[in-house]
Amino acid sequence: MKKNAYLKMAIGNKPQGKETSTPAPAEFKLIGKPTPRVDGKLVVTGRAMYTHDIFFKDMLYAKILRSPYASAEVAAVDLSAAQNLPGVKAVLKLKEGRVKYEGEQIAAVAAVNEKTAEEALKLIKVDYKALPYVVTPDKAMADGAPRVHDSANVEKINEYSRGNIDQGFAEAEVTFERTYKTAIEIHQTAETHASVAKWDEDELTVWDSTQAIFNVRDGLAEALGIPETKVRVIKMYMGGGFGSKLDANEHTIVVAKLAKETGRPVKITLSRKENSLCVGNRPSTQITIKGGARKDGTLTALSFRNTTCGGLDSGDQCSEPTIDVYKCPNVKVEEFTVFTNTGAGRATRAPGHVQGTFALEGFMEELAAELGLDPLEFRRKNYTTSNEGGTGIVYSSKGLDKCYDIGAQKIGWTRRNLKPGDGQGKKRRGLGMASQIWWGGGVPGTLADIKIHRDGSVEAVSGTQDIGCGTRTYMATVAAETLGLEPQDITVKIGDTVYPWAPISGGSLTAPSVAPAVRDAALQAAEHLRGIAAKKLSVPAADIVLADKKLFDKNKPENSIAFKDLVKGLRREAVFHGERGPMPAGFAYNTFGAHFAEVEVDTETGRISVLKVVAVHEIGRVLNRLTAESQVVGGITQGISTALFEERVLDENTGKMVNPNLQTYKIATSMDMPEIVPLFVDLVDPRINNLGNKGLGEPPRIPSSAAVANAVYNAVGVHLREIPMTPDKVLKALRGKEAGS
Amino acid sequence: MKNFQWTEPQTIEQAIAWLAKANGKAVLMAGGTDLFTEMKEGVVEPDLVIDLKSIPGLASIQKDKDGVHIGALTTVASLAADAMIKLDYAGLSAAAGSLATPQLRNVGTVGGNLCQRPRCWYYRDAQMDCRKKGGSQCFAAKGRNKYHAIFGGGICHIVYPSDLAPMLVALDAQVTISSPRGERNLPLAEFYSLPAKNVRRENVLAPDELVREVKIPLAKKGTRSAYVKLKERETWDFALVSAAVRGTVSGGGLSDAAVVLGGVAPIPWRLGKTEASLKGKKLSQALVKEALRADLQEARPLEENGYKVELVEAAVTRALLSLTRPL
Repeated sequence: MKKNAYLKMAIGNKPQGKETSTPAPAEFKLIGKPTPRVDGKLVVTGRAMYTHDIFFKDMLYAKILRSPYASAEVAAVDLSAAQNLPGVKAVLKLKEGRVKYEGEQIAAVAAVNEKTAEEALKLIKVDYKALPYVVTPDKAMADGAPRVHDSANVEKINEYSRGNIDQGFAEAEVTFERTYKTAIEIHQTAETHASVAKWDEDELTVWDSTQAIFNVRDGLAEALGIPETKVRVIKMYMGGGFGSKLDANEHTIVVAKLAKETGRPVKITLSRKENSLCVGNRPSTQITIKGGARKDGTLTALSFRNTTCGGLDSGDQCSEPTIDVYKCPNVKVEEFTVFTNTGAGRATRAPGHVQGTFALEGFMEELAAELGLDPLEFRRKNYTTSNEGGTGIVYSSKGLDKCYDIGAQKIGWTRRNLKPGDGQGKKRRGLGMASQIWWGGGVPGTLADIKIHRDGSVEAVSGTQDIGCGTRTYMATVAAETLGLEPQDITVKIGDTVYPWAPISGGSLTAPSVAPAVRDAALQAAEHLRGIAAKKLSVPAADIVLADKKLFDKNKPENSIAFKDLVKGLRREAVFHGERGPMPAGFAYNTFGAHFAEVEVDTETGRISVLKVVAVHEIGRVLNRLTAESQVVGGITQGISTALFEERVLDENTGKMVNPNLQTYKIATSMDMPEIVPLFVDLVDPRINNLGNKGLGEPPRIPSSAAVANAVYNAVGVHLREIPMTPDKVLKALRGKEAGS
Repeated sequence: MKNFQWTEPQTIEQAIAWLAKANGKAVLMAGGTDLFTEMKEGVVEPDLVIDLKSIPGLASIQKDKDGVHIGALTTVASLAADAMIKLDYAGLSAAAGSLATPQLRNVGTVGGNLCQRPRCWYYRDAQMDCRKKGGSQCFAAKGRNKYHAIFGGGICHIVYPSDLAPMLVALDAQVTISSPRGERNLPLAEFYSLPAKNVRRENVLAPDELVREVKIPLAKKGTRSAYVKLKERETWDFALVSAAVRGTVSGGGLSDAAVVLGGVAPIPWRLGKTEASLKGKKLSQALVKEALRADLQEARPLEENGYKVELVEAAVTRALLSLTRPL
């Protein structure tokens, strides 16, 4: 998915100025409590069906031949030897002409097993003429660099300004400029991309490891030139999706074509190397922030300049946190992308905000030190309750101030080095923090059904997908809460395009889209049942309560009828269509949070150990404390991993990625994880939807790397300004500091 | 992966016979943790895989009057857990315990660890025609070389990735090698060879030879050993730099010392000058720093691995100072 489309989705539809929400009660019986996952047993016993597990008896296996060159002209592709290999059922040519990155598709094979398909790939003869390439931004920006596309290698992708930046700097008593860099990160999902395609006459069914079944359906229909009504996409369980699974991928279209040609189901499972090269990455950034402030810490100006690289596609716009989070009247933003001959960047868990927050929050920490202020007080000094740094519209709810209070208290903020690097000894400890903003309001128009069967069983149905976040569990919880049942009484049906429409599972928008839709359907169902019960119990419908699997008179609880007995009398199964309503205009809907990290830096080995992270988030109402905490732990794990280890390493001399595997593309292990304290501000958004909840998928990822880097700064007195902070870079920074002092 | 034949010999003799017959086209397999990754990537494409695991008697640790015999099929996990090893050769126990992950230690073997192939990312990419694979250049020399050698590189800048090798060299271990010509013993230090000698190999094994066991001399009273491994991650990581040391402590100093580095050279890298300068002097951080000077002057860092020189100092200092710490 193009990142701009992703961001548009994440922001949600424009508020429409219509208040449809039924106000939610302050306290629920089930919602907000720690509810174990309804599908937990299936997952941990290995019985949950992932796309990797899909199998049909007559299924074929596909493999794709990919360009080993960063740039080349494919003059000819000879498929004949591969076609003649016994066991090969179809061979497709996918490319002739110019290939632009290592990993680009050339041809595909479907064979009776993976081994035969692999052998067939070796028999395909490709006549490559290698062409000049650029794989690093520096080389791509140099004079006379080979062009990646027909246009220039550098392109402006965003600009913004408010106030008068020159005047802002003129009013400043201190001005300060720093540059921050982030490396390219790969979406290393535990389950690599995989798809299975099966035709039944002119109808196509695809099982896909995806975050967006409807996007895959529509993308396949378009690519194959068939109506969307002829495509069905299914995704039951998923081993991770961080943004690279938001569209119909090229390999999915390939297996659909191979299945059509062979008349048999065809499966593809990407290797770790393909997953590293071809399905996306988080673009790198180099961000220079120049800021002006009064000596008391009042910000007067912020100038933000980003040079980002997303390979063949545009990099990330990263300025949103700088535009929004702190009160500042004068802001100027310019963002540029650099094209290189590498796999295209793609939305990656909080695209732009992760990199932009690393830069902004590092800058705030360093500027605070320059001003001689407590970095947390400095942030509080520039607090705002409306967006665009106090110049825009008011936030519907914002609990960032409470995140600061709780986090500071839980980490023991007063223990930090008052001056960065004040500590002594070979191993030095430090504390750092970072603020977070993201959208996460949800998508109006999301649909869900509640279906009540005459035997008393209940379904909650939506064409959403659970990508590991606990969607099934909160759907069951919301339905059960509203109908007076228990979560295990609800059968949740999701992950299939035959169900009512729901948006992508990305942008932190699943929970604030799907849960209110389920709530809406369940409220309608409850209303309907209340009407029937009112007649049976001879009390006004308004007095009927649904709880404890019964419907009863609130004034005389013994006057009751069991839920099961009541629905037995229905003429047929009853279906209620729920929809997530619009958000009132005039307000901004955002999520907030603050992370506080404690680290220890070994100044002889350059090794950083993260000791503790306190993460406090404001996401409106928490739907399920247990899965919410997991989400935070996951975000921090990725944040620490990219702060300390993760980096795509490219070799300029060959144009190739040298670490397309999990041994050399290092991800944090459980042994690298600190004590994590996930906390939530107890707050319900008064108008966002009928539950008052916002999203949480991305928020915990956003400030996690920045907080660690700031803690390292507090420990050793030099900000690395670049992630990952590997020992070589830490030692270099420490020696640089010694030389400078 | 290319098709291959598979055999499970029941004796060393059968294994050697298979090896000799295959004429260089066979590979030996113990745990397979290293071999399979190479085969899956297409870096090695053997005609025959000789699985040694059915041969009895090769997975044991035994002490006799000659020393301690460690069979080639002993798993790394059982070496790390062995009580006698822990007591007499604490450094070896630590090296085994620092290696890879619990899952890999449960499967990986001592023999396999000593004969593993390099982890250079150019070597491990079948599409890169590097010297070690018979090509004409070393891509690391002017490429991405953060993890490469600072000593002994020359025509090929791999580092030898084993954690056990530097420690066993420091312990003066020998390897027992079997071939159709019988058995021979070789100091482990002489088992490894530099790229200048044969860039395609990391050791002196002939195509029809296999390592049967490792033998360590009996620990002398007062002799201690230690292993310090510096890595990026807490676990599942090869050493950026490791220091394997052995020394006999007397009066606050060492009457003899062995200092061998891992992660810095194509072979376990012994610091002879450092060892000589340490002898008989009171151990201190300052002494180690001074003692290392001459050896470190021989370091030839590449563009991205200069930090390893600094890590050598940290690793060796920590390892040596730990020898004098009260037990």
